[in-house]
Amino acid sequence: MAPERVFGITAAMLLAALASFLAVLPEPARAQNIIDEWASVKAPPAPEPKAVTVDAKTTALLMLDFINPSCNEQRNPRCVATLPAAKKLLDAARANSMLVVYTAWGKNTAKDTRPEVAPNGSEPFVVSFLNKYIGTDLEKILKDKGIQTVIIAGTFAHGAVLMTASDSALRGFKVVVPVDAMSSPTPYGEKVAAWELANGPIIAPNIALTTSDMIKY
Amino acid sequence: MKLDLSPLIAAIGMIAAAIVIAAPARAADIVDEWASVKAPPAPELKAVTVDPKTTALLMLDFVPKACNAEHNPRCIASLTPVKKLLDEARGHAMLVVYSGYGKFTKNDVLSPVAANESEPFVLGILNKYLHSDLEKILKDKGIQNVITVGTAANGAVLGTASTAAELGFNVIVPVDGISAPDLYAEQYTVWDLTHAPVIASRVTLTKIDMMKF
Repeated sequence: MAPERVFGITAAMLLAALASFLAVLPEPARAQNIIDEWASVKAPPAPEPKAVTVDAKTTALLMLDFINPSCNEQRNPRCVATLPAAKKLLDAARANSMLVVYTAWGKNTAKDTRPEVAPNGSEPFVVSFLNKYIGTDLEKILKDKGIQTVIIAGTFAHGAVLMTASDSALRGFKVVVPVDAMSSPTPYGEKVAAWELANGPIIAPNIALTTSDMIKY
Repeated sequence: MKLDLSPLIAAIGMIAAAIVIAAPARAADIVDEWASVKAPPAPELKAVTVDPKTTALLMLDFVPKACNAEHNPRCIASLTPVKKLLDEARGHAMLVVYSGYGKFTKNDVLSPVAANESEPFVLGILNKYLHSDLEKILKDKGIQNVITVGTAANGAVLGTASTAAELGFNVIVPVDGISAPDLYAEQYTVWDLTHAPVIASRVTLTKIDMMKF
């Protein structure tokens, strides 16, 4: 039986014409972007903190922005909650004669540091916004003392901690980040930092995610 | 009459014990809390008008090892919109700067978005300002704004865009011009760029067809 014709055109001819039309359409570059896909994104499993042993002679503790404007009950209570872990790191560092470096941003000074983890007066202090190497002599301070590993504690996890830890790894340092001593005003900020530090391209092999009680000196 | 205070004493003891138990500084860290922490709402994309005279386009790591169908197909998918952006930039005589890492050279840039001979190429890992003259290249040309596209979103884009913001540049990030091997990395990258202190105030998240020149 001959195919049914409409105005002399068969269904097969129509299909062939449609196929050739579709063939010349540009392939859709990217149907969606991350904003369109936002709700469908699944978080991967949590990274696993690992036990770490550091050499006190070549390791420094970086205490990032434990200053009152960044670390207070109103704006960032999760930072206040990290102070016992940060104090534990600080006590261990001082007991092992390790280099301790403090930071702040803006016009804040060492005197603005939370009293629970206050500097002792002889410990270096640098001022910069997020990446504490930008516009400071932090790298020189560390390298002049033969530092090869930095333990990083502080706030915000998705700001100063993430940027300084990443840049430390890029500058050749081994990096240790205890998750119980970093904080952001929201837990999502901490989640961002933890995952990126444990999985970020290039940097991850030089970063150890741990907790303050999993570090041995 | 003698009062039996033992129930009261027991109750006070229980309350005291509860207070002590409630006191630990932080019951959990982010790893413990992981499963309960959900992504916040998506940031809003904004229309952007670009001043071609003071704006540069940074084309980050469109090189084979970083941008290929096997390990990073989202990067391959970004090439078409990025090419459109590149054509606009060149059409408006904007500065275009390419980057690579390791031993990659300008000639390794993928052909759909290949570099012109006159366009600068810098080498760097993640933060393209570190150990390169990128900042000088930009400032010598009077650049105040950088459009940052490339891969990986959570590597070169995050490191370079955040540093640009800290160095004082205004940063434009079109979400359809950045990519990572997995969606999660793209998601937290755009969140961090729009929420991290200091950086967020200098970063505008957009998409390529929301940009006017």
